[in-house]
Amino acid sequence: DNFEFGKTGGDFATEHACRYCGVSNPACVVRCNVASCRKWFCNSRGNTSGSHIVNHLVRAKHKEVCLHKDSPLGETILECYNCGCRNVFLLGFISAKTESVVVLLCREPCLSVNALKDMNWDLSQWCPLIDDRCFLQWLVKIPSEQEQLRARQISAQQINKVEELWKTNPDASLEDLEKPGVDDEPQPVVLKYEDAYQYQNVFAPLVKLEADYDKMMKESQSKDNVTIRWDIGLNKKRIAYFVFPKEDNELRLVPGDELRLRYSGDAAHPAWQSVGHVIKLTAQEEVALELRASQGVPVDVNHGFSVDFVWKSTSFDRMQGAMKTFAVDETSVSGYIYHHLLGHEVEVQVVRNSLPRRFGAPGLPELNASQVFAVKSVLQKPVSLIQGPPGTGKTVTSAAIVYHMAKQGQGQVLVCAPSNVAVDQLAEKISATGLKVVRLCAKSREAVSSPVEHLTLHYQVRHLDTSEKSELHKLQQLKDEQGELSSGDEKKYKALKRATEREISQSADVICCTCVGAGDPRLANFRFRQVLIDESTQATEPECLIPLVLGVKQVVLVGDHCQLGPVIMCKKAARAGLAQSLFERLVLLGVKPFRLQVQYRMHPSLSEFPSNSFYEGTLQNGVTINERQSSGIDFPWPVPNRPMFFYVQMGQEEISASGTSYLNRTEAANVEKIVSTFLKCGVTPNQIGVITPYEGQRAYIVNYMSRNGALRQQLYKEIEVASVDSFQGREKDYIILSCVRSNEHQGIGFLNDPRRLNVALTRARYGIVILGNPKVLSKQPLWNSLLTHYKEHECLVEGPLNNLKQSMVQFQKPKKIYS
Amino acid sequence: EEEVRVRSKTKVDPVEEADFERELRALVQESLDSRKLELRGRPALNMMIPMNVFEGLSSGSHHHGRGDESDDEGADEEGGGGVSVRVLVKKGNKQQTKQLSVPKGCALVQGTKQKEAAELEE
Ligand SMILES: [Zn+2]
Ligand SMILES: [Zn+2]
Ligand SMILES: [Zn+2]
Repeated sequence: DNFEFGKTGGDFATEHACRYCGVSNPACVVRCNVASCRKWFCNSRGNTSGSHIVNHLVRAKHKEVCLHKDSPLGETILECYNCGCRNVFLLGFISAKTESVVVLLCREPCLSVNALKDMNWDLSQWCPLIDDRCFLQWLVKIPSEQEQLRARQISAQQINKVEELWKTNPDASLEDLEKPGVDDEPQPVVLKYEDAYQYQNVFAPLVKLEADYDKMMKESQSKDNVTIRWDIGLNKKRIAYFVFPKEDNELRLVPGDELRLRYSGDAAHPAWQSVGHVIKLTAQEEVALELRASQGVPVDVNHGFSVDFVWKSTSFDRMQGAMKTFAVDETSVSGYIYHHLLGHEVEVQVVRNSLPRRFGAPGLPELNASQVFAVKSVLQKPVSLIQGPPGTGKTVTSAAIVYHMAKQGQGQVLVCAPSNVAVDQLAEKISATGLKVVRLCAKSREAVSSPVEHLTLHYQVRHLDTSEKSELHKLQQLKDEQGELSSGDEKKYKALKRATEREISQSADVICCTCVGAGDPRLANFRFRQVLIDESTQATEPECLIPLVLGVKQVVLVGDHCQLGPVIMCKKAARAGLAQSLFERLVLLGVKPFRLQVQYRMHPSLSEFPSNSFYEGTLQNGVTINERQSSGIDFPWPVPNRPMFFYVQMGQEEISASGTSYLNRTEAANVEKIVSTFLKCGVTPNQIGVITPYEGQRAYIVNYMSRNGALRQQLYKEIEVASVDSFQGREKDYIILSCVRSNEHQGIGFLNDPRRLNVALTRARYGIVILGNPKVLSKQPLWNSLLTHYKEHECLVEGPLNNLKQSMVQFQKPKKIYS
Repeated sequence: EEEVRVRSKTKVDPVEEADFERELRALVQESLDSRKLELRGRPALNMMIPMNVFEGLSSGSHHHGRGDESDDEGADEEGGGGVSVRVLVKKGNKQQTKQLSVPKGCALVQGTKQKEAAELEE
């Protein structure tokens, strides 16, 4: 540990010098053959677990190399002698049975080609090119002791950092790592801030980091050789359907995302490209892309397209904008809220509004005691938090609060949530109370179907039926028919549309939009004194700030910090605390959330463990066992009246095809059996949800069920198989949870997060089946207590589904796991 | 016999090593999976050893790599001593052989050596 890393050393002037350490002996170096890379690396291990070249190939996910012209074999791209495959992770040498002749041959498929076995080659002694994380030393020499001592001593951490840097700047050198800003850990978030400038100084760099990362990730997701299925939408626009694979934790397309579709041209077609919006994702994971321009689309071609992600900075720009407004504009939020958000001590303030006689609202179900208490308290406070555990009627409570706020005559109420789904749900409930609601959608989402279409601004503009709007209607019709207007007409059309939009928005009682949507230019001149943010625990602080800086005097944050938080892709930004929501920080500052305490979703047996583990046992049941009895469903629950079991699985986990995820075949096969059993006893596909934390397993289950399902294929297609995260905020009658991870030595990955487990366990209304390996899961304390809970209730079982037996599997002692 | 010793001034961090191993395995697995469905039926083409290889190096009709310039190359390899092998490569469609020294201990050449020895005894 005392060793000082040499900062100079190595011969970096030579082109073929190892980019890590500078060794430049031609016999010891190879060039990465990836066109965008072409860097040289040596075969020395230095202080790392693999040689420099292997380190590079693994970290950069590059797979081809070329030897130096002065090396024993001369300038040679290493490739399979038989098929030409250049993937060094598949290559190895074989020798002739009788002669001293060797060739490179790939492991898959050439090594297993039958015809080869009959020839003069000895396949049994196939010798991999990369062995013990090093290239074969007799092919690429290891630099001598002398050479290694002269070289730069690079650490594994430095390697990882420089590889990360090369992703955005391929010419960067190791020295660039030492430049300020590149490698610095950003300033972490704190509980209290001096002023809004300090707040901005902390959060702006984090938002920038996340934006840069997001941009890099998305722009690197280009896919070639995409096959397109063409269609035409109701609005006569072209729609392209295609598959765009995704990986765990990486790009997840959502409706509204922009993609560019390209065709490089052929003899019969000129080169073509067009940008479009994702309008939906089909159950088969197909993307439906509505193209902006219908002209010249090569609809008679189906193959050979390329797809790029068009990154937009809008959401990040709006966060930065909100932080700036918060700092420079004194009227952006009330003085009380300004100090409160910054964590300053402020005297308790009571909002002097007359309270309603009853706290429910027309069109909504009766409120229970904890809901009434929350509504009543919130109306009297300038800043409040409502914690809504799963199934406790968060949306109804929020709608009731909004109803009473709107009736107080303080002007329009702004209602936001980070996700469009949550905004739609809330808009629907609020509209049910009779209030006039406008749902403002991003322009890019206007073509995306919405359950509350009649509430959307664009719909209302189109369907406003007064004579004075007839001019706008005429122009709209013309535009729809022709696709375009003359520039004069276009100007007139835009002005009329803007005026109509403003008029409709101003006459609404409530505006609903996403947090980012609150930064829409169409709301630029609006002021909102009262703001409610639902799902606020899933938004970052800067995101939450966007709706607040429009003049807020009273804010209600609704959420549950015991469920999943915001998704931050950039690890550096997450480490610095960007993943902590404003709700959570306020809780840490001592603001006590009002907790909704009665759950109406889960069979009482299902709510018991989550209540005890996540909510200090305070969750009460608003549904009885009888109301959650699956009458007529003859499913083999091990204990009648306890519709749950942990199904012990010992199958191995595997790394999925993408190499970035996991799957477990035995679990998948058993998921199919359970699903089929449910279906056979009369459960419909839309009542069932299959949850798995891994994309690899999700894809495998979907595939497996459609190929091997015992019943009609169509039935399985209608069953939703998704990640824990995408089930947050929703419910199903029956949930099957496939845990996947099953190994002795590694961790349990995603399952380690208690908040994710909470979400997974609280989606089911009638019954839940968990498939997993207790030996592995029991190492984690929370899983250990879950397993113990199931065991104590005789719900830990194994064996065939029609003959389940109590499992005697031994648990491991729970360990502290480093996160 | 001299061994190549890799200095370990700093110990390899076990967390880093595990992480690296995982990524490496993932890459190998992905590489395998991506080719499992490919080409299996295709016959092995051009896997015949060209006759001029049997004629030995004296023919001079093909390019030799620089392996034959340094005699002691195999000397610092593990297992001690090298066996000279010819690596068959394709440059475009042309077959070439290049001389290379492989350590005696390597399983790749052991089979051949044993057979050669057996043949000599006969
Ligand atoms: Zn490379
Ligand atoms: Zn090196
Ligand atoms: Zn091959």
